[in-house]
Formats: sequence, C-alpha cells, structure tokens
Amino acid sequence: MNLLNMETEELYYEVTVYTENQVGLLSSIAGIFTRRSLNIDKLVVFPSEIPGVHKFSIRTHTTEEKMKQTVLQIEKKVDVIKAFYYEHPNNTQKEYEAVRKFLQGHEK
Amino acid sequence: MDYVTKNKVSLSGAEILLESLINHGVDTVFGYPGGQIVNVYDKLPLYEDRLHHILVRHEQGAIHAAQGYARASHRIGAVMVTSGPGATNVVTGIADAMIDSTPVVVVAGQVGTKLLGTDAFQETDFIGLTSPISKWAYQIRRTEDIEWAVSRAFYIAGSGRPGPVVLDFTRDAQVGMAELKGTTCDFIRSYRPIPEPSEESMRIAASMINKAKKPFLVYGHGIILSEAEKELEAFLDKSNIPAGSTLLGLSALSTDNPHYKGMLGMHGNLATNTLTQRCDLLIAVGMRFDDRVTGNVSTYAKNAKIIHIDIDESEIGKIIKTDVGILGDAKHVLSRLTELIDKRESYDWQMEDIMCNAVEKHKVIDPEINPGEGYINPGEVVARVADKTEGKAIVVTDVGQNQMLAARYSRFAQSRSMITSGGLGTMGFGIPAAMGAKVAMPDRQVCLFVGDGGMQMTIQELGTIMQEGIGLKIILLNNNWLGNVRQWQELFYGERYSATRMVNPDYGKIASAYDIDYAFVEKREDLLPAIDKMLSDPTKPFILEVHVKESSLVFPMIAPGRSVDEIMLTSDESFEYGN
Repeated sequence: MNLLNMETEELYYEVTVYTENQVGLLSSIAGIFTRRSLNIDKLVVFPSEIPGVHKFSIRTHTTEEKMKQTVLQIEKKVDVIKAFYYEHPNNTQKEYEAVRKFLQGHEK
Repeated sequence: MDYVTKNKVSLSGAEILLESLINHGVDTVFGYPGGQIVNVYDKLPLYEDRLHHILVRHEQGAIHAAQGYARASHRIGAVMVTSGPGATNVVTGIADAMIDSTPVVVVAGQVGTKLLGTDAFQETDFIGLTSPISKWAYQIRRTEDIEWAVSRAFYIAGSGRPGPVVLDFTRDAQVGMAELKGTTCDFIRSYRPIPEPSEESMRIAASMINKAKKPFLVYGHGIILSEAEKELEAFLDKSNIPAGSTLLGLSALSTDNPHYKGMLGMHGNLATNTLTQRCDLLIAVGMRFDDRVTGNVSTYAKNAKIIHIDIDESEIGKIIKTDVGILGDAKHVLSRLTELIDKRESYDWQMEDIMCNAVEKHKVIDPEINPGEGYINPGEVVARVADKTEGKAIVVTDVGQNQMLAARYSRFAQSRSMITSGGLGTMGFGIPAAMGAKVAMPDRQVCLFVGDGGMQMTIQELGTIMQEGIGLKIILLNNNWLGNVRQWQELFYGERYSATRMVNPDYGKIASAYDIDYAFVEKREDLLPAIDKMLSDPTKPFILEVHVKESSLVFPMIAPGRSVDEIMLTSDESFEYGN
C-alpha cells in the first residue's frame, strides 16, 4: 500500500489485544478508540488459550496510519501484553452486501 | 532495615502503606487529609522521623509540588489525598505529569469496598477518571495487596518513559491487618520499559549522519529523564552538529555549550527554527514533535531526512514521518551512535545561525532586555535575574508570557534547572512546583517567574510556604493582564480584549499577611538592588513584584498552525532568511 492510501483510505481492521486480567482495562482500551474518534464496530472479550491471559477482539474502520498508532498506544498500557491489527477479511462485508441486495430486491 | 524484625508483626494497611513508601525511597509526601485517608494520617506521626509530610492548601498544590520535586531531583514525587474532591482536585496535575513524563505516585483514599459504586459520600470513580491520563491506575482493595501495588507503582512511575501512577486506596485495605514483607518490583511481564535499540537502525542512522551536509539535532525532556546529558555532549563534540532544545529539554545542555543554538518552536530562537527548515538531516532525541515545536506539520523540516530516537514506540511516526526510528533509551543510543559516527571538525553550513542570531539580537532581544528607558519589560527582569544567579538557579515558570520569556532569557549552567508545564500548559503550576523543587533541592536557589494570572490560581500555597518556611523566590511579573491570551487577541483577534484585563489585589498586603518578605519595583534603577535583596538569603521565601509593561508581546513568534518558516519578528515584520 502506498503512503497516500495509508493516510486517507479507510479499511476495516480486526484488532486483537492480549492482556493481564485487570479491572478497568476494557474501558481504558475503549478510551483509546474514543480519543481518536474511532468507532468500535464489534467487541468481544474472553479468556485466551494462554492461562491468565485475556483476549480482546475488536473490529473498527479507519486508515492504516491511524490504526497503527492506535495499536501502539494500546500496547503502551502497562497491563497490555501484545496488540495486533489485521486488515479485516472482507468476506463478512461482502456477505452483508449480498444480503442487503437480496432484501432490497424483495421489498420492491 | 527493620523489616526482618517487623516481619512477623501484623500491621494495619495504613502502616504498611507508609512503610512501603519509605521502603521505596520516599522522604517527603505532599498531601491533604480527609475522611477516607484519615486512617493513614493517624499513623503518620509514627513515621515523622523518616517521612516528612507537607500540608498543602489545596490538593492541586500537592500534585504540582510533587512534580516540581521529581523534576528537580530525579526522584519520584509522592502525593496523598482523600477520596472524592481530594482526588478530583489532583486530576489536572496527573494529566500534566502524564504529558510531561513526570514520575509521581498519587495515593488517594477511597470509600470501603462495600460502598463502591453506591454514590457514597465522597465516592468518585477515580480509576475511571484517571486511567486515560495516568501511566497506571490501580485500586487497592485488600491489605495484603498494598506492598505489591506500591512496589509496582514506583517501578512503573520511574521506569521507561516516566509518568504518574494512581493508587486508589480503599478504606478496607487501610484498616485491615497483614504482615509486612518488604516486597520490591523490578519486572512486570506485560511491560518492557526500556526497549533494546536495533544495532542495524543505529548503523543506518550513523551512516546518514556521516553523509549529511547540513545535519541538525533537536532534543527534549528525554535527555534529562534518561540522564543522557554527558552522552549528548560527547555526541555533539565528536560530530560538531548544532543542536536546539524543546521547552522541556532546556538545561540538558548548558546555555554556554558551543553546540547549543537555542530553543525550538513557537517562541523559540530564529537560529533553531531556521536550521530546522534548512537542514538535510534532523536528528530528534527524546522529544515528541509537539505542535508548539512543529507548527504546520506538512512543511516542517521539509528538506530533511528524519532520525527519531525515543523510548516510547508510539511516539515514533506519530506526528512526523521518520526515515529511521530508533527505539531505545537516549543514553544508550547516543553513546552507541557516538562510537559509530565519524569525527567531524565543522560543516559548511555551520555559520548560518550567526546571521539569525544577529537579526534576533537586533530586532527582538536587545529591545526586550535592554530597552534603556520606559517601562520595565518582563524579559528584562528574567535576564537580570539570570545575570545575578549566573545561571545556577533552578528556574520554575508558570504558563504564558512569563514562561516563554523565562525560557528565552534564562541561562542554565547545569541540568534539571528548568521546571515548567509544557504539554498541558497548566496555569497555577508555578508556585507549588517551585515549592516542590525547593524542598527537593534546598541548597539551590529556586526562582519562579509567574504572572498575575497564574499567581492567583494557586496563591493559597503561600500558606504552605509560610508554614514550612520554604525559601523559594517568587518573581511576579505583573502587567494587570492575562498577557499571553492578550497577545493573541492583539495579533489575531482584532484587538478585542475579551476577559483578559485583570484587576489585582495588593500583593504587598498578601505577602505581609503570610509573613513573606516582599519588594515592589516599577522603576528600572530599583530592579537590581531588589534582586540582590531577594537572593541574599536562599533559605527565606521572597516575593518580588515587578510592574512590567502592560502591552508587552513575546517575539519571535510562529503563529499557531503556521509553518516554522513564517516567523514574526514584531507585529508587522517577518523574518526572511538571507534578507
């Protein structure tokens, strides 16, 4: 991806965050998204396969530039072990679009 | 240590907290008692030989004092307050310490665990309030967790990029009993405070430095925090690269150092801002490209490749696109880079700052600090104090014109001599921060420059100064205006002076009410004798009020949002390099 796209093109991202099991982490991680005006499209928090380590799975849409900085800011939290981001596999979006199109067809 | 003997004795949570603070090197705590921390205060007299509590007059004073204490001494500041309003009153200082990377530990009382979340008297969600603005915020609910939490708090506050840590100390934990274990902390598995710099990135950077024709180095608070002053000096001596400082980096290099070219940014020197725009390589160390430094980011250092050295990965590439980012401790990275770079005697462009300095001296500096006649200028007062202290004092500032002038016209002979609220720009920071600095470094002169606005924001701390006999020197630059906002109104808002005129009290009467020595100066010939009188006894507090020119403006100035190329020398004259 070239630099220009990194700054302007909005994509869906899947963010995964591995943390210690500490009270208040959910709101402080969510707060980092709020501060940068990022919408959380989906959020799941659950114990990971590693004992004692919790996992956040967050979907958001933004530019890669912003995504990268946000993930670094999340990782900076003392109780956050690691954070990653992936370009969201667009299949789900394609499925939604197909469903919407199908429904629209029926409404007419 | 008496831990061995006390090991088997159960202590109350309040005592364990105080023991732990002492165990982590705390000798002074700034605080204010209240209903949910009274159990801890009840035990304080037992520790008075080892722990000095300074009773402030408002909790905001406690946190700023702890910040001043930490910044002057390289120790960790400690604060103790009650729940609810006590806790919310320190929020400004926590945000200030976070953005300026100042290590402080705040212990706030909290209601009992059964009452949490019930809107109990003086209950507030302090963790929720402070987690976005602190490095770590933790609620202690059980007595047996106190030592663990305190040891982590001190480790986190002081390591890596320092910052404020909040301990929300519930009543149950204070009154419960547990054994004292002497817990310490130097490792947290989720936390890597000092990243290992990559040798490859340092080699690439060194080769860029060796090839550069017009290199320039900018440094910030990171140099002071990592105690890399000597390493920076050695790097500059070997490379002969000119250097500029951010506001918070001031005093890391002595102002007499031949490589030092001045301060960067909105009210920085012509030379540093011009070199930024004309260099072909910008080496940034321990600084974060604040917008007060960069102006319009899209034109900042437009001819340069950028090397950014920082301990905080989230800073690299946050504002300015970097060609090489080196993640690591400034002290370590600079000493390795010094090994890797070639020795250079000089650069062709090395004389470019001389022209800038000549223009700045003629157009800005001389008219400000040597006006000859008329009203006393605020910058003139700073310059005369710097003359008299020979740059050896710790300079503390409030926020606004007083701050910019103190930064521009002070001289610094040693590091940790400039304490100011940079990132947050907190008016009212000055008096308590200077108080903390003097408590930490009683043998140094501490000179505070404060305006009439900031003075009144935390003026209640004169009571603390009186009670504790803290010998700081308050230089009140009184212009009867909120000068910095007034400057913006004059230059950018059509001279509409909305809410910036300030009617002041009689500060002489205030000083006398607090039994603090005081002098008032409005004539130039009285200034030097008054400064001498003020400095004569470094152990006694003194307020020197100087009536300065009301419409004074701070120049040079880069207007907010404008490019670092567009420097105003006066209200109607801009600086053009080469003209």
